[in-house]
Amino acid sequence: MTSTVVLPEVPGLGGLFARGAGLSLARRVRSGPTVLPDVEYVVRGVRASSEHLTDYQHLLGESASDVLPAGFVHVLAFPVATALMVRSDFPLPLVGLVHVANRVTQQRPVLLTDDLDVRATATDLRPHRSGTQVDLVTEVSVDGSVAWRGVSTYLARGIFLAGSVDESSETFAPPTPTGRWTLDGDTGRRYAAVSGDRNPIHLTALSAKALGFPRAIAHGMYTASRALADVGARRGDAFEWAVEFVKPVLLPGTVTVRVARADDGFTFAGWDARSGKPHLTGSVTPLR
Amino acid sequence: MARPTPTPEIRKAYVLGGNRIPFARAGGPYVRASNQDMLTAAIDGLVARYGLQGERIGEVAAGAVLKHSKDFNLTREAVLGSALSAETPAYDVQQACATGLETVVSLSNKIRLGQLESAIAGGVDSTSDAPIAVSNRLRRALLDLSRAKTVGQKLAAVATIRPKDLAPVAPNTGEPRTHLSMGEHQALTTAQWEITQAAQDEIALASHQRLAAAYDSGFFDDLVTPFRGLTRDANLRADSSLEKLAKLKPAFGLGLDTPATMTAGNSTPLSDGASAVLLGSAEWAAAHDLVPLASVVDAEAGAVDFVHGDDGLLMAPAFAVPRLLARNGLTLDDLDYVEIHEAFAATVLTTLAAWESEEFGRTRLGLDGAFGTVDRAKLNVHGSSLAAGHPFAATGGRIVATISKELHRRKTESGSDKPVRALVSVCAAGGLGLTAILEAA
Repeated sequence: MTSTVVLPEVPGLGGLFARGAGLSLARRVRSGPTVLPDVEYVVRGVRASSEHLTDYQHLLGESASDVLPAGFVHVLAFPVATALMVRSDFPLPLVGLVHVANRVTQQRPVLLTDDLDVRATATDLRPHRSGTQVDLVTEVSVDGSVAWRGVSTYLARGIFLAGSVDESSETFAPPTPTGRWTLDGDTGRRYAAVSGDRNPIHLTALSAKALGFPRAIAHGMYTASRALADVGARRGDAFEWAVEFVKPVLLPGTVTVRVARADDGFTFAGWDARSGKPHLTGSVTPLR
Repeated sequence: MARPTPTPEIRKAYVLGGNRIPFARAGGPYVRASNQDMLTAAIDGLVARYGLQGERIGEVAAGAVLKHSKDFNLTREAVLGSALSAETPAYDVQQACATGLETVVSLSNKIRLGQLESAIAGGVDSTSDAPIAVSNRLRRALLDLSRAKTVGQKLAAVATIRPKDLAPVAPNTGEPRTHLSMGEHQALTTAQWEITQAAQDEIALASHQRLAAAYDSGFFDDLVTPFRGLTRDANLRADSSLEKLAKLKPAFGLGLDTPATMTAGNSTPLSDGASAVLLGSAEWAAAHDLVPLASVVDAEAGAVDFVHGDDGLLMAPAFAVPRLLARNGLTLDDLDYVEIHEAFAATVLTTLAAWESEEFGRTRLGLDGAFGTVDRAKLNVHGSSLAAGHPFAATGGRIVATISKELHRRKTESGSDKPVRALVSVCAAGGLGLTAILEAA
């Protein structure tokens, strides 16, 4: 029987990270639970502010319409899933979790004036060749029906809860570029300001070094959301937006990108022109 | 798709003359001259040449691509500073590098409709005196500061300013949506169509040689007014050679997996300059003892989705020209002159290659085969932007005035009634293109 935790409002990510950091240490040194808690987290009546929306749209290169970009809905809703991830019975440590993939299904537009009900669950704890993966599923409903559904896949490296598997990674051949993202050193701080995700790996070289990165890295959702903005209005009102994060983007940095029409929508990729190695790949497919 | 119908017969609008100042290289003799200075100089030269002192012209339209916000009424201010009657109305136009040609098209349409009897079209650009803006974050903080009422609000606004925000923001040729420069975009198209450096250098050399020949023969004597000590376009290299051009190092396309072929020699330099074109009805021309040179027959704009890689940034004319000619019942063979703005030599060559391609003709233009071939002898006969330079909004006026004079010369020389036609094609930022047909009067 799934238990429901109703939060009065969307929690701040800062407090959740602090809580998660404490728990993560404990989770790394002693064995914890090996199954996901059967629980859903719910926040009702969430509203976006127009100033927050405008800041987000300007940063990501979206038109400043009253329709919430799919990545902005993620920003509003995902802290509810994070609250679930810092429970003492959540089996993976928050610190060190890597966002490896994200899939959003936008069924219909979500508007600035809509009251949003957010529901978050964790599912599909599964082995991966370098650790354990889990899906955080966030649903956003308006007037009782789901308008937006996000599945965020996280990987806990080096934590093997259910054996290991061998997966071969696909090879990437850089295509003809259509554009370039020149990312300043403060890209992580600027996305942190609109997303609330102030994970130290995104903020400064120093704080990122402390956590094992040579420099600060861009938020995966920042790069995925820029690709979605590059697709533009032709994504339509209803679409699926899928992305795999392959290799972090070090800041400051330059990402060569291709965002182009494919058979049934758009595909996108961002890569390092010098090494030819991909940072992210994905697609935006209109729903029919 | 509904078949486009030919334009109904209405009265004609004529190019009556033109004037420009020589184009300078950025940082050259016009370094301190503003857009308003240069546009006023170009208009005043036109006024002097055609005796328009104190004349109330129907309307003046001009524009600049790099325009400061204080120049919100650039053209009107230039008119007020010129020898024209102060009762001459004016408006600004901005369509990237197509600005100058668009002023010719829209004003000649007003003349054809009978709204105007006379008009002056023009354009100007300065990369030396380019507007520099403050960063968005500083601008926002300053605007918040100006709205703040209490000391606390003022301090809060100031506190958001970071040292980095103080760096000025200069305009660049990067596309806002792709952040690739125009040269990088063209390099992708150049690679796609497998255009060699040798082919580009030939276009560049022809441009220099033909422009130099035109100056030497006195062709530009009544089209160009010296300014700031410059009597010819500063970029013109009459002594250029294929050997010299071949030695230049590639400037664009360096990161691609195909050889980089675009050099400073076969790309236009950043330039300063201004141009103006006098337009009028037959009646107005007769009343002012002016000889119509050419009529502006029709025009077609185009745009491509370069953002998603469907077509190259500067390829819109490749689509607009076939539509334009079809509407007028013409083919490339019916043209006596083809003026394709040389943003880069490769832009000309990729456009020609697309028209010669069976596959492009079938799949992208919806034709039975290739659109056609342009006889190189008809192409940019008095040189183009590679030699003259390219002050963005001034290029359309340069081309229209030059080719109109040439059309009239040819028609007069031939003495026959056979139409003499020119195609003008200008590519522009944002994946835009503007094309027009002129016919000798």
